[in-house]
Amino acid sequence: MTDHTHLAAEYALGLLEGEDLMRARGLVASDPDFAEAVARWETQLSPLLDEVPAATPRADLWPQIEAALEQGAGPAAAANVVPLQQQVTRWKWATGVTSAAAALALAFLAFPPGTSAPLPVAAQPELAAVVPIGDTALSIDLIYQPGERRMYVTAAGLEADGVHDHELWLVPPEGAAQSLGVVEPGTVKAVDLPENLAVQIGDGSQLVLTREPLGGAGPGTEAGPVVANGEFSTI
Amino acid sequence: MLSAADRNAAEARAALKAAIARVARGDRAALEQVYRATHRKLFGICLRILGDPKEAEDALQDVYISLWRRAASYDPDRASPISWLAIFARNRAIDRLRTGKVQRGAVPVEEAAEIADDAPAADALLEDAEQTSRIHHCIGQLDADTGSSIRNAFFEGRTYAELAEASDTPLGTMKSRIRRGLAKLKACLEQDDLEAK
Repeated sequence: MTDHTHLAAEYALGLLEGEDLMRARGLVASDPDFAEAVARWETQLSPLLDEVPAATPRADLWPQIEAALEQGAGPAAAANVVPLQQQVTRWKWATGVTSAAAALALAFLAFPPGTSAPLPVAAQPELAAVVPIGDTALSIDLIYQPGERRMYVTAAGLEADGVHDHELWLVPPEGAAQSLGVVEPGTVKAVDLPENLAVQIGDGSQLVLTREPLGGAGPGTEAGPVVANGEFSTI
Repeated sequence: MLSAADRNAAEARAALKAAIARVARGDRAALEQVYRATHRKLFGICLRILGDPKEAEDALQDVYISLWRRAASYDPDRASPISWLAIFARNRAIDRLRTGKVQRGAVPVEEAAEIADDAPAADALLEDAEQTSRIHHCIGQLDADTGSSIRNAFFEGRTYAELAEASDTPLGTMKSRIRRGLAKLKACLEQDDLEAK
């Protein structure tokens, strides 16, 4: 078997960790043949699960799942944009702060503890992720607002080297990872995500950063090496 | 001629396939239908991997909420609906183990087994007997150590490093043993694919 065929099998089985795991995730994201090979292994291995005896969870689990979906864990909820959240967003823009994290802290001050912000804001909590850059103190910081489907990418301390770009990828637990775009060094950018990407982002969503030629990985080409990774979590 | 049992199984699979397609279009009732048809099998899988009923229930909840978001990624041409869901549940449960939310082996497997149902019931209808025998046959062709390492990786989310440590084998040896095993497994599965055509 070739190196890639091995890697696909190893990834499907869950044998990998560290750099190999990152490389496999990057390939699932960028190489349809590799993603296909992983899916084929999974399909072939899945009948092993038939030998596991079925079991019955507690009876109120389904109502609980329904309740969680009502609270905005589902795709339909992305449409529930509340006016207040829009206001806060516009206000963040108006302040022109250089860091989305700082903007968030200020936004919080706008509603001091004790005053009640409308509830729907809490129903769709914002997510944040920090993608540290190697051994440096630098990081790419992300804030994602589900209601707005808007992601703020802060790469304030970074400098372009003129040879490479860095591309950010969302790595879903199932299926191919998808590009969230090329990171612009030294900027804070707001990116409006299409719905198909937006619905995949939640607490625990995995991210990887790859090094690419200027302009990012072209369609149909293999993604460059994974240089960093991070994870969204609710804030 | 299809037997009555085969017909039932084919119908159950077709109904599940259609329900997943409706979930992908945002049909909540279809999600409940998928839950009713599959939750016992998928709970069994979460329980087998996580070993703790409470954790397995949390994982199962995760599985259906994720399914609500990702049903569109199911490709009916590639896998039977129950195979896809089983792998989906297995991967979510393993993720849970990995992110350290669960202490591995919180409950011994035997204890987890006590919660298991005795009746195979409707979920079993969805399984594809031919596929099942194929992977078992091919793993059976491997030497015992390799076969069991591959099974441990699959069922317990063991990495190379963990497998090596557990069996007191150097990491390099473990890697090359499993890689040889995977190459053999692939050849065997493809051989069977050819014969099936």
